[in-house]
Amino acid sequence: MKTDRELIQEFQRGSDAAFNELVRRYLDLVYHFFQKITPDKMEAEDLAQTVFIKLFKALKKFRFESEFNTYLYRVNINTANTYFKRNKWRNMLHLDQVPDPGYVETSQERQWRKEEVWAAVSQLPKKQRLVVMMRISQALPFKDIGNILNMTEGTAKVNYHYGIKRVKSLLGNNK
Amino acid sequence: MNFEAKLQEAVSSASEMLDKEKFINKLTAARYAQALKRSQAISGCLAMVVVLVVGILGYNELDQGAILIEGSYYFSTSINFDQDEDSEYFDDLALYIMEQEEDIWMAFSFLDEIEYDKIVNLMEDES
Repeated sequence: MKTDRELIQEFQRGSDAAFNELVRRYLDLVYHFFQKITPDKMEAEDLAQTVFIKLFKALKKFRFESEFNTYLYRVNINTANTYFKRNKWRNMLHLDQVPDPGYVETSQERQWRKEEVWAAVSQLPKKQRLVVMMRISQALPFKDIGNILNMTEGTAKVNYHYGIKRVKSLLGNNK
Repeated sequence: MNFEAKLQEAVSSASEMLDKEKFINKLTAARYAQALKRSQAISGCLAMVVVLVVGILGYNELDQGAILIEGSYYFSTSINFDQDEDSEYFDDLALYIMEQEEDIWMAFSFLDEIEYDKIVNLMEDES
């Protein structure tokens, strides 16, 4: 089985088949990432497609300064960030929506919806938003988050601390 | 359950798989569509540049000879007609007038009036 590096090098020499092999290898990871970001399956698929189109352009100039995995996370996180920015106002409206009175809670503690959580996260400043996004969607250690976002582990922790505090207040922490 | 775990639970979703071959086909189609759009945009820009260049050159051509004097445009009269062809034409026209006009003095005074010297001089030489 060829390594990622070998496949990328083949792609850089003009082999589209090598790129398709990379897509097969990483599609599940990318798609699952966006499934956590949006409840809409079509939207998750579109975002995954956006990531691979970006990769198709970027990998031609990839210089192997970082691991492909790390690079892929960066592309994922940037695409998600753009998605949040685009939907910021829509998300803010979601936050203000009054719950449907006909809806009966099945548990004593209200479950937050995915949209509510991301609507709150999308209101954070960029660095906090990226760190919180990585932490709650991928459950990655702060060291890895720092590595992906080009910051130290300490900076990632501080950003997470302030970010999560703000999310808590936006969601009302009614659990 | 701590707050972070609750958030992770809220955003978690049942892992569904996509049909990879179908996705690759869609991706390839999307890439081609994007490339087509980009090439159309580039050719559109090039066409605009050509139109602009032709427009500027055309404007400059038309503008030649226009002189702005006291807020009004005047056009220079220094247009080069083909002198030989013109004089030949006017000679023929003058001869035609001379031949057709019954009263030769009327034709003569007409040519004198329009300051057509060539025939006038010829007539004077003959007389």
